Amino acid sequence: MNVEELVRESLREQAGQGAPLPGDFVDRVLAARRRRRTRTIAGTSLAAVTAVVVAVAVPVLAEDTGRQETRPASELRSGDVVAHPGQTPPRDLIAAGDKALAAFSTSVPVKQSNGDEIVTRTYRLLDQKTGTYRKDARWSWVAVAPGMRTAAVLEQKLPVRRIGLLNLLTGKVERWIPVDHKVGGVAFSPDGRKLVATTYAKSPDLRDMSRPMHDGKRERPGPAVPSRTGFYVVDVATGDSGGWSKVKTAESEFGPDTINTREDFAFSQDGTLVYSSLTSAPHQQYYDFKGREKRTPAREKHVRWFNGAGLSPDGKLVAGEFAGDGKTTASEIIDPLTGKRVAKVPGQQLLAWADNKRLIAWDIAPGTSEYRNRLVLVTLGSRKTVPLSGYRSSKADSTGRWQPVFAER
Amino acid sequence: MWGQQAPQGVKVTMDAQEQDSFREFVAARSPALLKTAVLLSGGDRHAGEDLLQNALVKAAGRWRRIDEPEAYVRRILYRQQVSRWRLKWPRRELAVAEPPESAATGDATSAAELRIVLRGALAKLTARQRTVLVLRYFEDLPEAEVAQLLGCSVGTVRSTTHRSLARLRSLAPELARLDRPDGGSRSMSRDFSPMEV
Repeated sequence: MNVEELVRESLREQAGQGAPLPGDFVDRVLAARRRRRTRTIAGTSLAAVTAVVVAVAVPVLAEDTGRQETRPASELRSGDVVAHPGQTPPRDLIAAGDKALAAFSTSVPVKQSNGDEIVTRTYRLLDQKTGTYRKDARWSWVAVAPGMRTAAVLEQKLPVRRIGLLNLLTGKVERWIPVDHKVGGVAFSPDGRKLVATTYAKSPDLRDMSRPMHDGKRERPGPAVPSRTGFYVVDVATGDSGGWSKVKTAESEFGPDTINTREDFAFSQDGTLVYSSLTSAPHQQYYDFKGREKRTPAREKHVRWFNGAGLSPDGKLVAGEFAGDGKTTASEIIDPLTGKRVAKVPGQQLLAWADNKRLIAWDIAPGTSEYRNRLVLVTLGSRKTVPLSGYRSSKADSTGRWQPVFAER
Repeated sequence: MWGQQAPQGVKVTMDAQEQDSFREFVAARSPALLKTAVLLSGGDRHAGEDLLQNALVKAAGRWRRIDEPEAYVRRILYRQQVSRWRLKWPRRELAVAEPPESAATGDATSAAELRIVLRGALAKLTARQRTVLVLRYFEDLPEAEVAQLLGCSVGTVRSTTHRSLARLRSLAPELARLDRPDGGSRSMSRDFSPMEV
């Protein structure tokens, strides 16, 4: 038997299984059509509708009216976009194209007895059965694998000595991976088969009272000296954490540190290298899985990781930096090989590619505070933005200032 | 019932006779259509139902103008599935007998185990890749017909088929055994060479 034959056999076997359709299926179809016609009419020009007038219009997007309506989950969607422009922080699934908001976190600085502060996150993870975000206070760090079936989680009080693989459908940790060097952050490879775990000597979320900063009102603990020590590359299937790779951080006695207090490693687009961002040019340093320095891959030279989105899924474009002016927000899209701008899209900060043409971004309402922003969907070649969430609070350290975690769905 | 629930004075687009014939079609053909829809959705029953429901809703809208309803609905299923604008939903857990980790790393030997591994791998293909495989190997359609259905060239169908199979092999390395002359050939015991009598 060859692969083609096995595929044929497997498909036939799969097709032969499964319960019959519910008896009321045809009624469901007709009811869905009735609702859809109503929505279409609500969302398009009435002039285009010749034959039908309806009494009640259901909005295309889920508005937060507070009413609980019984309808199929798909009824809240428009195309492949699921938006909740009235929700901040989000309560119900937000998604666009290939990406979904798999989780989000809020954080508060927790005062320590010595005056230091530790930025402490609280995560809310998507419950895929109900399509709502639910608080899971167990974790201080969550990375969601592509496909949203598994998350890598770290317990409270970073850095920690084990990495959990959380089943996102059951909410249970399926495996603990012990590590000798304490871990403060984890990230999945693009195929979800590997994890890079960044090791730290102290909490990567520490703010040090002896390095104060002034927030305009008072002096507060500032970013601590980075305590990053290296990384592990973990095989997700076997839990084998391989060897630990030590990565030295260049010390900076004066001037800014070369990396941030939390500077987690992440995978290159093809998953063969890991990299760390740097606070100044050349902006990132790549390593092989043994911790040996490597040259930046050609297509990632112009990637600025603080934008979040990085390379498009097909690797042909890179999300660039802010390109707006005093009145409008915009971001640039650049050619990964030349670094030249090829397009400008709306949006304050490009966070994730929904597909090769669309990105999820932060954006503000024109003329308002640059910190009061919401998730929007922007499209190459279009000035239109589609709001995906409500506006975040503009107050720093506020629990209303949620941070998204996107994953491929 | 549609006609009964429509607001008074509103003209509905499907009369009673059309609605009856639509109901009849759905009752008769939905089980078969659902099989295809579930396969196109990577084995996800709920996504398959969603896909079929959407296709039928579209068909209902043009019911009086459709000559061959089944062909029409199938074309919507395929195209809807490969379209970027197809409704997407997070991939749900698939009902496979083995967790993917162990299935992917274990030494799967039996054909049944291979099929489980393959099912998991099929679910990880892109919608377009999976659709092409379903059309080629489940519906047994020739390449030219697949190309026509999906609105692409025969060359694209061919290369997508090739790439999809290659992706399956990379997702499930166990399948490599099948392609080896000596490997996994339990069902190749049949010998069609001429026999001496």
